[in-house]
Order: sequence, then C-alpha cells, then structure tokens
Amino acid sequence: MDSMSKRKVILKIEKISKSFGSVVALSNVGFEVYENEIIGLVGDNGAGKSTLLKILSGNFPPDKGEIYFEGRKVNFKSPVEARQMGIETVYQDLSLCENLDAISNLFIGREAYKNFLGFKVLQKREMERETIEVVNKIGINIPSVKERIEFLSGGERQAISLSRFVAWGKKLALLDEPTAALGVEQTRKALDLITKIRKQRNIGIIVVSHNLQQIFETVDRIIVLRHGEVVGIREKQLTDPDEIVSLITGAIFINDNK
Amino acid sequence: MVEQRTTRALRLISDNMIWFILLLSLTVFSLAVQGFFNVRNFRNIIHHSVFIGLLAIAQSHCLISGNIDLSIESVAGMGAILSAWLCGASVFASGLQVNPFAGLLIVTVIGAAVGFTNGFFVLKFKIHPFLVTFSTYIIIRGLAVFLTGGRGVSQLPDSFRLVDTTKFLTLPLMVYILLIFYIFFYFVLEKTRFGRHTFVIGGNINAAYNFGINVDRHLFRIFALSGAISGFTGWLMTARAGGATPAMAMGFLFETLAAVIIGGVSITGGFGSLAGVLAGVLLLSSMRSALNILAISPFITEVIRGLLVLAAIVLDSVKRTVGRK
Repeated sequence: MDSMSKRKVILKIEKISKSFGSVVALSNVGFEVYENEIIGLVGDNGAGKSTLLKILSGNFPPDKGEIYFEGRKVNFKSPVEARQMGIETVYQDLSLCENLDAISNLFIGREAYKNFLGFKVLQKREMERETIEVVNKIGINIPSVKERIEFLSGGERQAISLSRFVAWGKKLALLDEPTAALGVEQTRKALDLITKIRKQRNIGIIVVSHNLQQIFETVDRIIVLRHGEVVGIREKQLTDPDEIVSLITGAIFINDNK
Repeated sequence: MVEQRTTRALRLISDNMIWFILLLSLTVFSLAVQGFFNVRNFRNIIHHSVFIGLLAIAQSHCLISGNIDLSIESVAGMGAILSAWLCGASVFASGLQVNPFAGLLIVTVIGAAVGFTNGFFVLKFKIHPFLVTFSTYIIIRGLAVFLTGGRGVSQLPDSFRLVDTTKFLTLPLMVYILLIFYIFFYFVLEKTRFGRHTFVIGGNINAAYNFGINVDRHLFRIFALSGAISGFTGWLMTARAGGATPAMAMGFLFETLAAVIIGGVSITGGFGSLAGVLAGVLLLSSMRSALNILAISPFITEVIRGLLVLAAIVLDSVKRTVGRK
C-alpha cells in the first residue's frame, strides 16, 4: 500500500528462531511494524505468540535472527533495556503486586523520587496525581487508586495493567491478551483507548488476542503464527475471519514469509 | 458505599490491631499484676526489648522481601563472643584488647559478610533462603563456640559498656539506639524507593524483574543489612552483659520470629510495617515481665507465646480475606 511505504518502520525482525530444548518455539519469524499501526498477532495455543513477545520485550534473547528497532540493530539483555528504548509491554499475567495499591503498581521500577540527604524519597503525591489522570483516561472505574490490588476485581486489575501502557507507551507497545479479563463494556473502552493512543502518539502496537472479532475491529494487519512460523500476513481489508481461522488451524498453508 | 466504608474501617482497625492489643494487655497487666505498673518496670520492659527489637528489624526486611534469615541469632551470638574476644582482657580473650568501637565495626562488617554469603547462595545457586540460612545458622554458632573453646570472655574495658551505662532520662543509651533504628528503618521502608522495592519484590518478584528492578542487588543488600544489624546486636549484648559466652542470643530466632509475626509481618512476603513490629516486640516483652512478676512457670510462658503466634497468623489470614474479591 502506498500510505504504508511512506510510514516509518518502527520494528523489523528477521529470521527469529528460538528453541527450548528440543521444542522449536519459533523458526525464521520475520515481519515489520510501522508507526501508527496496530498489528494483531494470532495463532493457536503454543504457536509461539508469547515467546515472540517475550523476545521483543527483552525477557530472553532469540537463538538466531535479528531485531531492528527504529532502524538500529538491538540485542536486549533485559526488559529494562527494551523499556528504556520505548518498548512497553503489558503482560498476560498482568505483573501486578497484589500487596500494593494502583499507584505503586503503575510506577514499579519508575518511582518518582527526590534526593534527600542521599535517600531516594518517594514523591507519593505526584505519583498519585498522575495515576488518577491515567486511570481517568482509561475510563474504567476503580474504587480508589489507593486500594490494594488484592481487593480489586479481574477487570479492575487489567485496567491497572493497561494503565502502564497508557502512561508509558512511547514507541512500541506489546499487549498480550489485554482484554482477557474485561467485560463487554470494558473491552469496548479498552479497545477504543488503544486505538486512540495509537493515533495520538503515532506508535506501533502489537496485540495478541484469541478474539478474532476484536482483532478485526481494532487492527490494521494480522500476522498468523502456526507452530512457530509465520503462515500469513494480511491486510485487514483484504481478508476475512474465515481465512484467518484457516491459517491458524492449518486448513490452508500459504507461506508468504520471505 | 456504606459497605465500602465499613470494610475500610475494619481494615484500619485490623491493620493497627496489634497496638490495640498492646494497650489492652498493658492495661490488664497493670490492673491485675501487682508491681507491673511502675516506671522501673516499664523501663525494664523497653530495656529488655532492645535486642529482639533490633533483630526484628533485620527479620522484617527479609520477610517483607519474601525471604527469611534464620542465621540472625547465630550472627548475634558470634558478634557477642567475637567482640568480647577482641576487646576483653580475661584468659580466653585474644589478648589484642582492640578498641571497643573498632570491635563494633569489625563484628558489624563480619555480620554483613555472613549476610552477603547467605545472599550469594540464595541468589546465585537459587537455593531457598530457609535452607541457606539454616546452614549458616549452624555454622556461625559453631564458629562462635570454636573461637573460645566454648568458654566465656569478660574483663571488658569500661568504654565498651558506655552504650549501656550512659543514661538520658534514666534510660540507657541503647534504648535510644533502638528507637532511632525504628524511626530510621520505618522511614526507609515506607518513604524511600529502596523500601518500596522491598515490598514489590516480596509481592511479585517477576513483576519486579519485568519492570527493571535490580532484584539480585536489592536482595543482596537486604541479606547484608540483616547480617550487619545482627552482628551489631551481638556487640550491644556484650556491652550490656559486660562479657560474653558463645551461647548468647540462643533462642532469639524464635523470639524474633514470634514478635515479627505478631507484629503483622506476613511470612510469605509483601506485608508488614515496622510500627506493628515494634508493638509486637513490646507486647512479648511486657508479657514476659508480667508472667515473671507473677512467678509463673517459664514453660507456661512458652505456651502462651506460641498461642499468640498462632492467633497472629489466624488474624493475618482472616484480614487477608476481608473484602477480597
């Protein structure tokens, strides 16, 4: 597409392979993500979606293959490095501390502090203000940002996990099943939010989801993984759910990954 | 709304329950136990709380971060006998007659080194902290006994005892040290990034890692801190006693764990406040004092203490389920 060739490639991966022992999780995976683009990453359980996200978020390195971020080759040694470059991940397990409140959870590893006699004193009021702002943007009500996560419902927890993406997503966001715990109304709000933030910030987003309806409502392109390989990359307008299901299940096999 | 407010009120009470229990116990003891309610006795209670109180700070940090340090009492015992051995002048001392404050520095650093070693095996070999610190618990006590062949050391210089003999408002200096430690570490745990990370790691270590907290470095510091405080506590014990035996601080581990758990620290990590811990320490101390005055068998004291620990654990798990969705 013309519009696409003008856009900047934010992430490019080439020939990514990863095995765990004798199990091949990913083999020769390659694709590009443009700025202002939402990619839907789909595939059956065990297709390699989570492994791929974990490689991109710096949780572990690939065995083979290259990752280019904003045109530069990168080798993330930890999630911090990926995050510092502007790759924000919303983990499927939500990565929340149940013993702490929403404010603390939003700011894990990024606590606002002031130096006071050599101590890094937390700026609790600033963090609270910012958290309220972000939570309001999401539009999902939680009883209080000072409530400990253990007292919140599944949907409220997911909202707080998503709030990290809202607060920190700068260049590329990796969202692993971001709406799995949300109700219908909440899901709608979350998807609207994802679309809105993409536009506002011109960022690239990869969404992993099992819900094809959601995928078709939200994304621009769909990448299908099967047994660790890319078996299809489709523009949303040029495909339909039936074809995607066929690709996921292997009913048709068209390898257009060069 | 009302339900929410009630839940919150309930939680406020249950979070600070230990202080109510402490006040209640003090009232009951004062009314029921003759000779309990006087300044001298209260002075004794707080004086007796110094060692367990300090060790409780060490253990609280370990537990809140999702770890445990069983070696604290052995490190304290080692700190006690080693500092006496270094600084004392009796037969079984080293003969070096080291300056007591240099002795303090030495045992604190050695304590930190033991803690660091604990951290090393926990973090680099991925062994459960219970097993690692259980080993060092045995090893360090063994070393303490070995140092003087199991014998005690006395004849310390007067300057060693200053921390106990110097008094402000009739309270020995070491009581103020205890209070300063509590204020300082309360501030660290509640108000600083270091403290916040301790809670994050204890709450969800994967989240801590995912969001860029240097988990290993932080836990190394926690273990080293625990060892350093324990070593220092041993030095204070020697200062108080005017000498040391290799058996000093024996049984302090369980007493400390009891105080910390009663004080509301969760043994599975992520929860606890030093305010509660201090109350737990004082509660156990005043209970011992009351039972002492009543001349009740020390064995019954143990039973009561055990029941208190059990009650604290039950209370903790009830508290965890109130209002949980």
